[in-house]
Amino acid sequence: MGNLDGSPSAASSSGARWAANLFFGALTVTLAAYCTLMVSGAVRAAGAGEIGSIHGTVSLGGTVEFSGAVPEPEPIDMAADEYCESAQEGKQVLDRPIEVDENGFLRDVVVHVKEGLQTGALAAPEQSELLDQKGCLYAPRSLAVRAGQTLVIRNSDETLHNVNVTAQANRGFNIGQPIKGIEAKRSFDEPELGIRVACDIHGWMHASISVFDHPYFDVTAPGGAFSIEGLPPGDYVVEAWHPVLGTTEASVQVPATGSAEIRLTFEGGSP
Amino acid sequence: MTDMRRRSRLRRGVWAWLLVALAWPNSASGQEMTGEELYRAGCASCHGEDGRGADREKVAFDVPLPDFADCSFASREPDLDWIAVSHQGGPVRGFDRTMPAFGEAFSQGQLQEIIAHIRDFCGDPRWPRGELNFPRPLLTEKAYPEDELLWEVGARTQSPGEVGNAIVYERRFGSKSQIELIVPFGFQDATPTHIAGPPADSTGGWVAGMGDIALAVKHVLLHSLGSGSILSAALEVKLPTGTTSNGFGAGTTRLEPFLAFGQSLPAEIFLQAQGGWEISTNTEKAPSEAFWRAAFGRTWTQGRWGRAWTPMVEVVGAAELEADGATDWSLVPQLQVTLNKRQHIMANIGVGLPVNRTEVRSPEVLFYVLWEWFDGGLFAGW
Repeated sequence: MGNLDGSPSAASSSGARWAANLFFGALTVTLAAYCTLMVSGAVRAAGAGEIGSIHGTVSLGGTVEFSGAVPEPEPIDMAADEYCESAQEGKQVLDRPIEVDENGFLRDVVVHVKEGLQTGALAAPEQSELLDQKGCLYAPRSLAVRAGQTLVIRNSDETLHNVNVTAQANRGFNIGQPIKGIEAKRSFDEPELGIRVACDIHGWMHASISVFDHPYFDVTAPGGAFSIEGLPPGDYVVEAWHPVLGTTEASVQVPATGSAEIRLTFEGGSP
Repeated sequence: MTDMRRRSRLRRGVWAWLLVALAWPNSASGQEMTGEELYRAGCASCHGEDGRGADREKVAFDVPLPDFADCSFASREPDLDWIAVSHQGGPVRGFDRTMPAFGEAFSQGQLQEIIAHIRDFCGDPRWPRGELNFPRPLLTEKAYPEDELLWEVGARTQSPGEVGNAIVYERRFGSKSQIELIVPFGFQDATPTHIAGPPADSTGGWVAGMGDIALAVKHVLLHSLGSGSILSAALEVKLPTGTTSNGFGAGTTRLEPFLAFGQSLPAEIFLQAQGGWEISTNTEKAPSEAFWRAAFGRTWTQGRWGRAWTPMVEVVGAAELEADGATDWSLVPQLQVTLNKRQHIMANIGVGLPVNRTEVRSPEVLFYVLWEWFDGGLFAGW
């Protein structure tokens, strides 16, 4: 770009070089922009700082329902702890081991891609997940995290809770949290479904944590819906896990474009 | 200049805040709480306001809860063990995992405050504290009363061979006392040229026999946690139960009054000493003697809460109370180690090295396995 001596040959040569530079520069920018868009899509799908796939992504959505008879919810007696009882402000808290809406759609179900993933090991996202103890109940009651992801365990109550975590593939622990606002950080290294969390002081407090080494999972909200984003096209087996009902699974084909829907059903009578 | 001062004040403020934050590294509360308040916040839900254990209907587990007001339970372990369990949770000492870890909730200083409050549940100062329970040497008797079962072994390293054993059962009673039963037995090379005991028609080889069974009582005379001292008096009676025909036992009753002393020293070193007499009721069969023993040692912990290793050296002497009686001196280097997480099973191995009269005295390998049975079963706490 610096040759400006004015000779024809030099000018001709310089112009050709300039045009070539412009062409390859534009091509480079275009390719870089294309790659950036592809990678950023994968990053969104897989979590910050990681690349899940560069083949394009769609979402897998659906619902989970229970076709059996739902047991009657039982009132939880919190009278053993004055704080817990007063924290409910007179409302009766019910224990619902199987919680469905009026249409039978089930909440707190962990839905995950069990088979078919081609991705290798994926780094855990930097953002943490929270397991809170509030009003002497766990929030959320069913939680899913990535292997290596930070889990913050907080006590928002003015009473002692212990967090007794019983795992199989991972290392369990049991910590006391006596002060309101106290937090502990932990992570799990190995994939595991349904790590049990319990408070030994307040027997009604139960939760579960599921750990995955990929980002393709979700926990059903009230209404039984789930959504898994960024799944590369392909054939998959999707499994649903519930702490009382166990597991059920279904196969699904995820197309190259659009989205896929699946309905998972826990069959059976009374659990 | 004004800006510099302001920045300086700001820096000081930041440092002061950091110091406060470091002083309360894991506590969500900035308020300073007393040991009693900390106990109420972290312990009372399960262990009860009075330390005797919460009402069973108030907790959701059925693991038996200890009674902190029981002096026999609450006095015998040192603070370090209480801190280990409260900091790391029950499994660190082989207890149930229902006991959670509070190491992230409370600082070590706060745990110390809580334990000081727990100690108040037993208001009886007669019970000597576990800090005065120094590791047991191979030969020197401890001043601290114990609930223990031991298997002691001593093996002569030169011909004629001899392996002496003793089963020792110790049981505390009251706040300061202990009874003890010692049942010795052994094996020795009975080749006629080696010992005079076996019958003349003996064909030699190894023979077995019982030793002189002993009964003992021990009582703590003085103890002070502040000075780290404990002093006990004891009387042991050795009965002539030995198989004398095979060379075991003295063949006469012997009385052994003695004093035992323990003292913690700077740099976490401890000294234990014992001195007394063995008075024979028949000096023709067994001479009376005076004896003295002292052990120095120090305990190192593997990691912060793990296995305890205690190297010790004992100096042992005995003098026959006769005109031409011999005086023997020995050194006994040894190493005691805890074998399980509960640290109530431990072993000690050492060598008794004669310092004088080495022409008639040979080195001995000494060993014991110890079970503090009050702290749990033989297979508990691993």
